[in-house]
Amino acid sequence: MSKFKKEGKKNAPGINTSSLPDIVFMLLFFFMVATTTKDADPSVSVTPPEGIRATDMTPYKQRSEIDFLYLGKPRNAARAAEFNFGYALFLDNVAQPDPGDLYSTNYIRQWKKDKFNSKPPSMTKPIESVITCVKADRDAPTGIIFDIRKELQEIDALTIAYAVRDKSNI
Amino acid sequence: MANRDIPEINAGSMADIAFLLLIFFLVTTTMDKDTAYVRSIPKKVLVKTPPVDVEKRNICAILANSKNQLMVRGELMSNPDDISERVIEWYTTNEKQNDVTNNFPMYSRISMAEIEAQIASTTKDAEAMENTPNASADIIDFKWKQVQEWENKKKALKLYGRNELPEIQFQAHVRIEVQKATAYELFAKIQSELEEAIFTLRDKASLEIFGESYGVIKKRYDANEGDKTKQAQAREDKDKLDLLKILYPDRFIEVTPKK
Repeated sequence: MSKFKKEGKKNAPGINTSSLPDIVFMLLFFFMVATTTKDADPSVSVTPPEGIRATDMTPYKQRSEIDFLYLGKPRNAARAAEFNFGYALFLDNVAQPDPGDLYSTNYIRQWKKDKFNSKPPSMTKPIESVITCVKADRDAPTGIIFDIRKELQEIDALTIAYAVRDKSNI
Repeated sequence: MANRDIPEINAGSMADIAFLLLIFFLVTTTMDKDTAYVRSIPKKVLVKTPPVDVEKRNICAILANSKNQLMVRGELMSNPDDISERVIEWYTTNEKQNDVTNNFPMYSRISMAEIEAQIASTTKDAEAMENTPNASADIIDFKWKQVQEWENKKKALKLYGRNELPEIQFQAHVRIEVQKATAYELFAKIQSELEEAIFTLRDKASLEIFGESYGVIKKRYDANEGDKTKQAQAREDKDKLDLLKILYPDRFIEVTPKK
């Protein structure tokens, strides 16, 4: 007589899936927290150049001490001819009178001032240190960036940032 | 009626709901970080003064033309990756020993006694200016700023722990000159190379003095700066970063293109 009882044919026990929602929720929360919502989809196309050792802008974004400005070819190719060198500016977060409208450098001063004035008074940073981040296309002419710089200098917004895609492995 | 148990809710489809939400966030999330080179724009000058003559050795000129050709200190460059090496060379050639015959910026070495003397004399100056009738607030401010600068150097030298504080000529600067049609890619590449050069120099000094990488100190300072419980550590790191900044200042000038 054997000590071990030979068992008859038995179905494999089902795996307990009651903790599956917990796992999925955990992942869900991670992605919910990691997501940042975009303010606006720029109507110019920008392929940033690459660079190393660039400063991470995330802390400034969280404190909303940064305004973005896009410089690239208009997505609507037919309009490219209207602009200097065929490159147009897109100013972030402005109520645009016409959704298809793109701005030239003339609007930068007003835009920057409006954005600064709309910030809550608890934000004590002076306008000199509020960063204006220029996201320019890799083929964009640098002359336009210096035009932007000049406009910013006129209103004492003295911090500029040149956006790149950081390829250094930090 | 007899009491009945409340029937349990079937939670089997909870996972499905969570999955649905998860997939939505997975698809919409973009993880790209915004990274950029932060630079300051000089204040607008209201009174036009003639430009100061700067010795050639004190300028590290990086030129880029409309055909995207590069020139560093008068030499054509085919590979933009070499810019950082040239900048490092420009910074370090005279660092240990001044040599008048070469074309690189001079270093001054100031001792603690000299710094103390400067603090004393600038403080006297500032006080005298404060007691002068009709002195403008700007000038008084400027005088006190000079005192502060020397105080900072004193602190830096103490932390440096050597007899003398080496300092590059005060006019020495890196100058970026581009043309209007220069591609932004090249301009960004120059900025990237400069950042790399400064990082390499400061990192080397940091390892020598503190036995710690510059990147580590900087990251820790950024993390602790806003934290009220870690102010002591943040202050210590700030002093370290200030010293490294005095040793290798990042004075970059971007020249507005004329054509």
